[in-house]
Amino acid sequence: MSTELLPGRRRFTLTSVLADLALLAWFTFALFPILWMVLLALKTSAEQTSTYFAFSPTLENFGTVLSARGTELTSVDFTSTLITSVVSCVGAVLVSLIIGVPAAYAAGRWKYRGSNDVMFTILSFRFAPELMVVVPLFVIYHQIGLFDTRVGLIWVLQLVTMPLVVWILRSYFQDLPEDLEQAALLDGYTRRRTFLTVALPLVRPGIAAAALLAFIFAWNNYVFALILTGNEANTVTVAITKFLGGGGQAYYNLTAAAAVIAALPPLILALTIQRYLVRGLSFGAVKA
Amino acid sequence: MGTLKVQGLRKKYGKTTAVDGVDLAVENGEFFVVLGPSGAGKTTTLKCIAGLLEFDDGWIEIAGRNMSGVEPYHRNVAMAFESYALYPQKTVFENLASPLRSGRTGRYGAEERRRRIQTVTDTLGISHLWERFPRELSNGQRQRVALGRVLVRPADVYLLDEPLSHLDAKLRAAMRAELKQLGELADITTLYVTHDYQEALALGDRVAVLRDGRIVQVDTPEQVWHQPVDTFVARALGQPEMNLLDGRVDGGRIRVAGGTVSIPVPPALGVQQRQAVRVGLRPRDISTGADPGAEPPGRLRMRGTVRLAERLGRSVEMSVDVAGTPVIVVVSSDNARPEGDEVDLDIALEHVHVFAGGEPDVDTPRLGAAGIELGKQA
Repeated sequence: MSTELLPGRRRFTLTSVLADLALLAWFTFALFPILWMVLLALKTSAEQTSTYFAFSPTLENFGTVLSARGTELTSVDFTSTLITSVVSCVGAVLVSLIIGVPAAYAAGRWKYRGSNDVMFTILSFRFAPELMVVVPLFVIYHQIGLFDTRVGLIWVLQLVTMPLVVWILRSYFQDLPEDLEQAALLDGYTRRRTFLTVALPLVRPGIAAAALLAFIFAWNNYVFALILTGNEANTVTVAITKFLGGGGQAYYNLTAAAAVIAALPPLILALTIQRYLVRGLSFGAVKA
Repeated sequence: MGTLKVQGLRKKYGKTTAVDGVDLAVENGEFFVVLGPSGAGKTTTLKCIAGLLEFDDGWIEIAGRNMSGVEPYHRNVAMAFESYALYPQKTVFENLASPLRSGRTGRYGAEERRRRIQTVTDTLGISHLWERFPRELSNGQRQRVALGRVLVRPADVYLLDEPLSHLDAKLRAAMRAELKQLGELADITTLYVTHDYQEALALGDRVAVLRDGRIVQVDTPEQVWHQPVDTFVARALGQPEMNLLDGRVDGGRIRVAGGTVSIPVPPALGVQQRQAVRVGLRPRDISTGADPGAEPPGRLRMRGTVRLAERLGRSVEMSVDVAGTPVIVVVSSDNARPEGDEVDLDIALEHVHVFAGGEPDVDTPRLGAAGIELGKQA
């Protein structure tokens, strides 16, 4: 990176080598749990606690997790929890985009008395520990019949994703020169059409970034899914833990395999959108 | 086409007043220039007229229609922004087509749209850029596209916000000449905002000088140049600025530069004995190389020493010390003198402006000229 910015200054100095080593050490430290998880997912039940790096790898665990035997062990159908997670997270992101994008635009463009307080209140949903609100939610969900439903999950996950979407997109809208929308107004477009045809297309990279982040946060949510669902609408995060068993044998290898599977959707999504994200960052800086 | 009237326009941002009671009346088809330093409230005034800003007080009338509560897209006003405000995701052609597609500037078929855009881009010399995106254009080209987006549509009033300010000096001069020749602008009421006095004097049918949100003077370019209402307007026009020499009336003459220079006072000036005044001399009105000796009638002579001579190509800017008072003079390089030389300065009395006296940083009104007033409308 630095060599690209300073052509002809590619040098291996002592500091740069040390910096690279330090970075490598940090990466090893940060990525080690992931490596450990992948290794564990490839071990048999017999080897799961006895071997470190030398073992005979097997893909059997993945099959077990997704098959009826896994359901037998945990009394939860892992495949259906995957579907629940996808449906509820996509649903939560869609709800927060449909409401959050116009909200972010309004928050980014119009200042009124108390507008900052409103934004702070929205953000404070992220400060509050989930456990603080989950007990009242549990009672309410039971009473109005949202307990253990996908709609109920969407509704509660939307609490997690909405503040993210609004805050990220607000800064995108604020960075957008107001002159562009004003020019559109004078071209004869109404405020709604100005928003749709000028402002919205220009923050598409921001929408992609916000949607991705919101999806990951919703996907990783554990507490709401644990308390507000029973057997019908379990999410993957809850299902993974069931392989640790309750009193009987703990299947660490199956847990790890389930975790690897659960990590794939956000990873794939991030890789798909990545090009778009990078393009968004350099939009206009490079000639097409 | 239409007239534009602004009355008592006031706009505050928090506690700072950006526009403080601006009155404007622009005639049908007039090219009206608002000149002022940055922060004078020029852009704010334009955006209020366009309906893009809400203002605190006053009213605006376009083509005889009161604009209170009228949305920008119903005002039939076109504006070129200082930042160009070209849609980055659209090509030049699409940018120019945008006002024609909205349906509020008239109905156009695809053919008619193409024809209009062709005409405008031909005039501005950007027809080869139709398929380019704004990011692929130079500043000069972007500026033309922004102007094209205004010219391509009919409107009651064109508002142009510093359209030339981001161009380099040569291109600015060229574009200024082009703007002047543009027939489209000649017919349509245009409000042009700039901080460049040369643009104002070259382009305007009339010029309004704006200062701290107030209009100081509205006149033809000739009048603004020859009869600035106060020292602010006098200094705003001209580069280098007008020389202002403090003086005092003594026995029917104004004495400046420690009394070594004295100027006869015409009775029409109406100054009192012992009154403090300021004498304004434009650097380019002063010439050198006069014969030393008696002062001919109608002219003012001063003797000084050249302290600094700066070559600016064809002309030379000299700082001349007249009895301890520096006087800036711009002469052609033939008439320039080297530093340290004694020099005789000569200026016609009608070019000697007399202002009321005052503190150094306070602007004071103009009282008149020491000679016959120039530029007085017959």
